[in-house]
Amino acid sequence: MRLAISILIAKFAGFLSKNILRKSGETIPGKVLLKLDSSAITKLSANRKIILVTGTNGKTSTTKVLTQIVTKLGKTVSNGTGSNLNWGVATTLMKKSDYAVLEVDELHLNNIAKAANPIAILMLNLSRDQLHRMHEVKRVADRWHELAKSLPGTTFIGDIDDPFVSYALSGATQSIKVSFGGKKHQDGAVCPACGKYLTWSKQNYKCTCGLSNKNPDQEFESASAALRNANLANVAGDFLGAKPIAINESELERSVLRNFGGVEAKIRLTKNPASWKEALSSITKSQVMLVLNARQVDGIDTSWLWDVSFVELAGKKVVVTGDRALDLAYRLHVQGINSIIEKDFSKAIDSFERGAEVDVLAAYTAFFSLVKA
Amino acid sequence: MSKINIVRIHNELLGTYGDQGNAEVLVFRGKFHGITGNIIDVGYNDPLPTNGDIYLLGGAEDAAQLLSLEALNRDRETLDLVIERGAVILAVCAGFQIIGNSFWAAGKEVAGLGLLDVSSTPGTKRYVGDIKIKSTNLEIDLTGFENHAGKTILGPTAVPFGKVLVGHGNGDGKFDGAINGNIFGTYLHGPILARNPEFADLLLNRATGRKYSQITDPLAVQYATWRRKVTK
Repeated sequence: MRLAISILIAKFAGFLSKNILRKSGETIPGKVLLKLDSSAITKLSANRKIILVTGTNGKTSTTKVLTQIVTKLGKTVSNGTGSNLNWGVATTLMKKSDYAVLEVDELHLNNIAKAANPIAILMLNLSRDQLHRMHEVKRVADRWHELAKSLPGTTFIGDIDDPFVSYALSGATQSIKVSFGGKKHQDGAVCPACGKYLTWSKQNYKCTCGLSNKNPDQEFESASAALRNANLANVAGDFLGAKPIAINESELERSVLRNFGGVEAKIRLTKNPASWKEALSSITKSQVMLVLNARQVDGIDTSWLWDVSFVELAGKKVVVTGDRALDLAYRLHVQGINSIIEKDFSKAIDSFERGAEVDVLAAYTAFFSLVKA
Repeated sequence: MSKINIVRIHNELLGTYGDQGNAEVLVFRGKFHGITGNIIDVGYNDPLPTNGDIYLLGGAEDAAQLLSLEALNRDRETLDLVIERGAVILAVCAGFQIIGNSFWAAGKEVAGLGLLDVSSTPGTKRYVGDIKIKSTNLEIDLTGFENHAGKTILGPTAVPFGKVLVGHGNGDGKFDGAINGNIFGTYLHGPILARNPEFADLLLNRATGRKYSQITDPLAVQYATWRRKVTK
């Protein structure tokens, strides 16, 4: 079957799914297209420049910033809503463009990159996340490293303060290594390249095998996770010939404001130890709600809660809810922080007074259901 | 009022799956019993303290597991000394494999510390998910989360830590872990002591040589009971 006809059928399937099943319509067309033509991603990637964005945290927001930058160079498509497996990528590529900026899941990166032959891959960071699926951080890093070795025509851009990204980039023929003057990595006790104990001096690492964050190609001042990613987007944009954009840190704020029955909620996505730590440090209000689920995309194991210190919450009013509210409540309890457990989100909202301003930290599935509400 | 030292061995290496929480739970439960728990963190380059009452090892990736074993071999004499003294050891997942006779990591077989009569080999698949076992030591079921690719075979002198009710445990789906006196090995993350505070109490009893009466912590009971109910 010709690609054009396959696309037509896939689009029709997407139309039905959207209008009859009321689904988002980002996955179904790509699923159908890849069923009809398994090499659709390769075919659709020809004659345009593809840039992939991957990493544990910050994929969606960085993809948005990079799309904004690249749009000035020509028509750009992007899977801006976080549909980052091969189906979402295929759906996005069904639209014609000069450029495609695509967020890609860490484990699906290799297959998608090998099919799409991107001009550049932006690697943000790698840390513990969804271990029931990723199994081990090193396993993902090995795959990235292998990919970098197998794509000599692709430029790999990444934050080498992260030893896993540094190791991945060390396999590349072409790379742009970016450093922000170092950052201690919670999972970085072992050198991902050689398996020796990794020597850190404050924020910087240097292994006897040569892996280090010294001698980057580009260096920036120390920055928050969000600012790092925005700067990395500028580096990728610059590589493509685009003018860098001015970065306003307050606009990078990853939270979403919503009003629920008179309660002002500032909702922030939290997924894993690294993102919980970032989110907890951003709490400004004295009333907090934490929503924890453990469905597939959240990670089905909650053990990592014990790798996060919730000390920032001491003295605040803390309400917990979600499928795994009890896991969270007991973890807080052992740290000496009292919380109120509520059965569901609306009950949790009811436990605050009207007009209250509440910081809400929500696990992946909870975040998207709240933001859509 | 008694005081105990809780030694968290190589958390920087053996902290991949949240097991560091076990130390916090021991301190927390200890308070109810009038025990002051002091956590001592031991890094890869640090000597193993001789004054520990409870020694904890957690889960890790292969390279980290090998580094931890290397460091513990360096301190073999200390280790033998504290075991002789009857110190409690709780080793989870990669830590459990380390204290067995042998295990596989990064594609090769290595000799373990031999504190438990078990040997681990690569499994045919990865065992990931909720797990529930019938405890050998307590009249209760223990719950947790397992995430490992190792299969562990019990030697003739090994006593299993529990009988698997849900999940895979040592890989055969029959038993999980092993025990030898005050030395406990298991595949249960969660962390195990957070999910099963009764087991934390047992370790405190063993460490102090005293029998503490039941304590009242409704949230701990609610959490443990709920996990036992839903793990099926």
